[in-house]
Amino acid sequence: MNAPAVINEFAKMRHLKVGVFGLAMVVAVVALALFALVSNPDVDLGDSSAWNALLAGMSLGIPLVSPLLLAVLASRQTDMEHQGNGWLLQATSGLTPGGLCRAKFMALGLVVAVLTVVQSLLVLLAGKVLAGILPPAPLGHWAGFTLCMLAVNLVVLAMHILISAKVENQLVALGIGVLGTLLAVFSQGLPPVAAHLTPWGYYSLALAADYDVSEYVTLPLAYPSIAALTLVAALLFTVFTSRFDRQEA
Amino acid sequence: MGAFNAELLKLKRSLSWPVVVLLPVSLVLMGAATQLAQGGQPDDGWHTVWVQSVGFYGLFPLATGIAIIGSLVWRCEHRGSNWNALMSGPTPTLHIVVAKGLVIAGLTAIMQVVLLISVILMGKLGFGLPGMLPGQYVGITVLLALMALPIAFLQSALSMLIRSFAAPIAVALVASGISVVALNVVGDAALASPYALVTRTALLGTGTFSDPGSVTAGDLIPILAAAVFLVLALVVASTVILERRDTRV
Repeated sequence: MNAPAVINEFAKMRHLKVGVFGLAMVVAVVALALFALVSNPDVDLGDSSAWNALLAGMSLGIPLVSPLLLAVLASRQTDMEHQGNGWLLQATSGLTPGGLCRAKFMALGLVVAVLTVVQSLLVLLAGKVLAGILPPAPLGHWAGFTLCMLAVNLVVLAMHILISAKVENQLVALGIGVLGTLLAVFSQGLPPVAAHLTPWGYYSLALAADYDVSEYVTLPLAYPSIAALTLVAALLFTVFTSRFDRQEA
Repeated sequence: MGAFNAELLKLKRSLSWPVVVLLPVSLVLMGAATQLAQGGQPDDGWHTVWVQSVGFYGLFPLATGIAIIGSLVWRCEHRGSNWNALMSGPTPTLHIVVAKGLVIAGLTAIMQVVLLISVILMGKLGFGLPGMLPGQYVGITVLLALMALPIAFLQSALSMLIRSFAAPIAVALVASGISVVALNVVGDAALASPYALVTRTALLGTGTFSDPGSVTAGDLIPILAAAVFLVLALVVASTVILERRDTRV
């Protein structure tokens, strides 16, 4: 890992309003999770299924807001290199385009990891303190869900950095971001095979809880599928960024 | 008219068609996918097909689609020395603002036509529904094309002020989310937001969220009044702001 390049990416985030977009992501997910809890009169705060309501709210909220906001974060961090021909500048200072993309992923990935964990912890805290759910929270399932969502978020982020770097017109990246949102939301109603076909579909495989007839129930997380996605994405990201290294800047 | 023709020329090879065609088509396909996967006809015929696609479309995909078109239309002005050419040209500011807004609204109107055709094709070919889409929904499509005018002018203003392609799209997503909540909480008072205006229009007759299910003059008057006021206010504000902008070195 090229630490100075990653630190440089953080320096470039000045004026990019990463904090504002991150805050929007966290607030939207926390609000949707709490909405799932308070909007349903069947939810009993003395029963452990109340936690499932929060998990179900987050399972809907994350696919709804993450794909497009991740596309925006990746696009803004990458588009600046097209605007100021940063690719050439960095290449002549010894940092290849592929290396630059990897540095961007490390920097933004860290931001996304913090955001994903913070939104999950905030919902947990809100469930305990604001809503006052009495039974203990299913911490193991909660942690597994957060990890799965984080993995899918990072895969989508990596893909968007590559798209924004490859295609100068950011319309393509943002258009794919909007279509990704639709895929992420609608995959929940499709058979699991269809959800495996695109990175966004994996949001529905990380569905932690759902409303079933009269109450919220826990759903098993598709750990093997998400692990496989992460591995394939890591491999592809490495291959693509090393291909970028061999291009003329 | 000259400014408008110039804008049309700039649209050539600008990749606006993927947004205009792909977004509504994929939305109708994904909205119907769950039903198609289960087999059988939708319970409430044409009404269900409409609600599944257009009901969701109005919540945020429409606003983000318009935002993408807005960023696309302004993209060329922020590149190279085009901003200075725009500032130093003889075209009156009002003409520039109106031409940009109308081009965005025009592309949005084509998007609504594609949506309508997609819904009809899905009902006929996908589900084999008898009869035709009720005339009420054709009327709503026309109304939706007109009610997109305020949001077109607002996104045009945002893309005029923000040089980043992605940022106005994130603004549209977040503002749509807030507007949906506002519509549910404060009702028609939320129509002060152009995002709430398109959501309210898309939901007309669907009976979902804040919509009562039937379309009456009482529903339409506030929508039309808000649209006229918003367009006038946005055109004046954008013109005043752009008039005070200068060349960039």
